[in-house]
Amino acid sequence: MKRTFNLGLDRFSGLYLGAAFVIIFGVWSPGTFLTMDTVHVIASQQAVAGIVALAVLIPMVAGQFDLSVGFTANLCGLIAVLLQNDYGIPVPLAIVLAVVTGAMIGALNGLIVVKLGVNSFIATLGMGSVILAVQAIVTKSETPLPVSSQFFGKLTQQPVLGFQIVIVYLMVLAVLVWWILSFTPAGRYMYATGSNSLAARLSGVQTDKWTWLSLISSASLAGFAGVLYVSLTGPSLSFNQTLLLPSFAAVFLGSTQLKPGRFNVWGTLIAIFVLAIGVQGLQLVSGIQWVQDMFNGVALIVAVSLSLKRKRGLGKSKRAASGAELPDEVLQEPGTAPVP
Amino acid sequence: MPPEARSTSPHVNHRSQDSTTVPALELIGLSKSFSGKTVLSGVSLHVAPGEVHVLLGQNGSGKSTLIKILSGFHTPDPGGEVLIGGEPLTPGSSTASHRVGCRFVHQDLGLIEQETVLDNLAIGRGYATRFGTIRPSVTLDRAKSMLARVGLEIDPLQNLSHLSDAQRTGVAVARALDSEGGEVPALLVLDEPTATLPADEVQHLLSMLRTTAAAGVGIVYVTHHLDEVFQIADRVSVLRDGHLVRTVPIAEIDRAGLVHLLLGAELENAPSVDQVLTAADPTPQAPRLVVRDLVSSALHGVSFAANAGDVVGIHGLTGSGRESILASVFGAIPRDSGEVLLDGRPIVADNPRKAIRDGLCYLPNDRSVRGAMMDLSARENFTLPSLKQYWGGLRLKRSQEISDGDDWFARLDVRPRDGLDRPLASFSGGNQQKILLAKWLRLEPRVLLLDEPTQGVDIGAKIEIHKQILAAAEAGAAVVVSTTDEDELVAICSQVLVIRDGRPVAVLRGEQISPARLNRALHEPAAAHRGGLDSS
Repeated sequence: MKRTFNLGLDRFSGLYLGAAFVIIFGVWSPGTFLTMDTVHVIASQQAVAGIVALAVLIPMVAGQFDLSVGFTANLCGLIAVLLQNDYGIPVPLAIVLAVVTGAMIGALNGLIVVKLGVNSFIATLGMGSVILAVQAIVTKSETPLPVSSQFFGKLTQQPVLGFQIVIVYLMVLAVLVWWILSFTPAGRYMYATGSNSLAARLSGVQTDKWTWLSLISSASLAGFAGVLYVSLTGPSLSFNQTLLLPSFAAVFLGSTQLKPGRFNVWGTLIAIFVLAIGVQGLQLVSGIQWVQDMFNGVALIVAVSLSLKRKRGLGKSKRAASGAELPDEVLQEPGTAPVP
Repeated sequence: MPPEARSTSPHVNHRSQDSTTVPALELIGLSKSFSGKTVLSGVSLHVAPGEVHVLLGQNGSGKSTLIKILSGFHTPDPGGEVLIGGEPLTPGSSTASHRVGCRFVHQDLGLIEQETVLDNLAIGRGYATRFGTIRPSVTLDRAKSMLARVGLEIDPLQNLSHLSDAQRTGVAVARALDSEGGEVPALLVLDEPTATLPADEVQHLLSMLRTTAAAGVGIVYVTHHLDEVFQIADRVSVLRDGHLVRTVPIAEIDRAGLVHLLLGAELENAPSVDQVLTAADPTPQAPRLVVRDLVSSALHGVSFAANAGDVVGIHGLTGSGRESILASVFGAIPRDSGEVLLDGRPIVADNPRKAIRDGLCYLPNDRSVRGAMMDLSARENFTLPSLKQYWGGLRLKRSQEISDGDDWFARLDVRPRDGLDRPLASFSGGNQQKILLAKWLRLEPRVLLLDEPTQGVDIGAKIEIHKQILAAAEAGAAVVVSTTDEDELVAICSQVLVIRDGRPVAVLRGEQISPARLNRALHEPAAAHRGGLDSS
C-alpha cells in the first residue's frame, strides 16, 4: 500500500516525545543531562528492562498477560548466583540452568492457563507470589554474596564502544523476537490467537500450543534478563518490583507506535527508552526519588487508555461495516473506507 | 383448536372499537424505508387491551422493523402514527417507548443464569430498600405477585438454572410487565418466544400468556409456528413484503387460509412435503461427505450426504437445530454421537486443524465472533490456514502472499482492491465475507461448509458469493449451505434438507426447490411439526 509522506505524528509520537524530553532536559540542565554518561546509564539500565518488556510482549501478542515476569527474573537471577556460590557450577551452566528454571515456570503458567482454563492475569498474578515464596526458600531470605568470578560480571559490563555489552544482548534478542513475530508462521499464529482465538482455532491454528509457547518464551526471556541483572548490578532480593511496571507500560505504549493497534517489538523498545529518558531527566533536574514510580504508573495508565481508544475506534468501524442500517455501497467506495 | 380453549381470555369485541375502550396499540398508516427501499408501507392495525394479537410474516416481511419501531430503535417515516394506550409514541427513543407502556420479551430473554428468580426480577425496578438496605420480605412479596400475574407458581428463591425454558420465558414476561405504579403496562410484545422452546413447554408458556392477557395487557405475539396461532390468538395479522395483507379474527380463518395469506398465490399448486419425501431418491454412488445420525444438544439424529459437485442446502427456522449442524459436522462444537465421513474417512470432532487438512472447510455465520480476526489485515486472515506454503526457509514470502491476495481480490471483486493490508474491520460486511470465503476457496477444499454465507451482505456481494459457491462446486467440491434465506436455497442448491426440532423432516430436489415449498415444509401441520416425524 502506498503511503504519502507525512510527519506520522501518531505512529512516531514516541520518537517526538523522546526528542522533546531531550531538548527540555537538555536546556534545563545541560551540564548533567546532555552527557554521554547519561546515555550510557540509560542504555545499561534499560537493557534488562527492555528484555523483560520483550518477555511481556510475546504473551501479549498471543492475548495473554504474564504478570510473573519480574518475579521469574528475580528468582532466576538469584539461582544463577547461588549455583555458582554454593555449588561451584561454572558460569555458562549456571546461566543455562537459570534460564531452564524460567522455562519451567513458563510451562507451569501455560498449564494453568491452557489446561485449567484460568485467566492468565490471575494465573500469573498467583504464580508471581508462589515464585516469591520459592525465592525465600532457596535464598533463606538472605541476599547472596556477589559472584566471585570476574567473568560473570564482565558478561554484561564489558565495554563496547563506550557502552556496556548488555545493550547488545537486548538488540540481538529484539531482532530475534522481531523476526519471529513478523516473519515466521509462529508469529502469525500468535497474533491470530491473540486477535480472536476462537476464529484462529477454526482456521486451523493450534491456539493452545501457541498460548503455551508464548508463556514459556516469556518466562525464559525473563529468567535470562534476571541473570543479566545480577551480573550487572549484583544480587538483590527485590529487583522484581522495578521491572514489571515499566515493561507493561512500554508494551502498551509500544502498541500505539509504528504499527498502531498492534503489539510490536520496536514500538516497545522506543517506549521503554522514551520512558527512561523522561524518568532520568526528571530525576536529574528535581533530584526526587519518587519520580520514577509516579512516572511509570501514569505512563502505564495513559498507554493503556491510548491503545483502548484505538481499539474502540476500530470497533466502531467494524459495527458500521456490518451494520444493517448502513448501506454497504457507502463503505465500498474506494477511498471512503476508514484508513488504518 | 376449538374456541372453548380460548375462553379463559376475556372476549374482546374487536369490531366495535369505540370511545369506551382505548386500544392498547394503534398503528395508523405506518411506513418505513431504508435508503429508498420501503420495508413497511402504510400499516394500520389495532390491538385491544386483553387481546392476543399474532403477527405473522416471512423473513423480510417487515415484522422485525415494525417491532423495532415500537421499541424506539427505528424512527418511522413521517406521516404514520403509533398510539400506545391512546398516547402517541415519541419515535426513536427506547425510554419513551418504555414510558408509554411498551414492553418486550425477545428470544434472548436477558436473564442472568446464575442468579435466583428473585434477583432476576429485581434487576428491572431494583430491590425494595430502606435506608439503602434491601428489605428481603418486601422484595420477596413483590416478586411473588409479579409471578402470580403471569400465572407462574415457582419459588422466587430458586436459581434460574433450575427452571424449564418455558418458566424462564415466564420470568422474563413477569419482569417485563413490572411497572412503578403497580398498574400493568399497555402492551407486551413477544418476539418468537417459542423458537427455542421444547414442544411440551410451549403449552405452558401459552397458558401463562393467556393469564397475562386476562390482566388487561394487549399482547403482540410474533411467531413462525402456525399451530400456536390457533391456540393463542384472538386475531391474527399477516405481513407480506411490508404490507399488511389482512387482519382476521382467528375463528374466521383456517390453516390453509393462513398459509395462503402468508405466501400469496404461488403456493396453490405446490405438492405437499409428504409427496416430496416419497419422491424417487436417486442413490448416489460414494458421496463425498456422509453425515450419519449426528446427535448433539440441539440435534436429534441428522443424516445426509453430499456428492462432489453438489450444493446441498439446509433450511430451518431459528431454534430448529439448523444453526449448529455445520459446526458439529466440522467439529467446531462437540458431537454426542454420530459420524462424519469424508470420502469414507472419519472426521473427528473437536480438531479443526485436522479437518482442514483433510479438505473440510467451514465458514461460520458470525464473522466477528468466530469467523475472523477483525483487527488483523485482510492478508493475514486470508493466508492463515495455509501459512506453511509461504514459508521460504527464513521468512514468510510476503510478495507471494500479496500476489495471491491480489489475485483473489480481483476474482471476487473485493473493494477496495488495494486494501490487502488494511484491517479486516475496515471492509464492508460483504467484502469481509468475500475475503473469508476466498480464504477457503484458495485451499480448493473437498467439502465446503457455509453457515449463512450471505447474511448481512449487500446484494452485489451476495450475487458474487453465489457465483463463487457454484464455481467451487463445479471444480469438484461438495458444498453444504445452511441458511434461512429461501432465495439463496433456490438460487444455488440442487438439494435442500429441511430441519425441524433437530431432525430432517423433508428433502427437496431440483425443481421442487421453490420458496413456496420451502415455506410449506416449515409450516407443516402440528402433528408432523411437534410430534416428530422420524423419517429422514
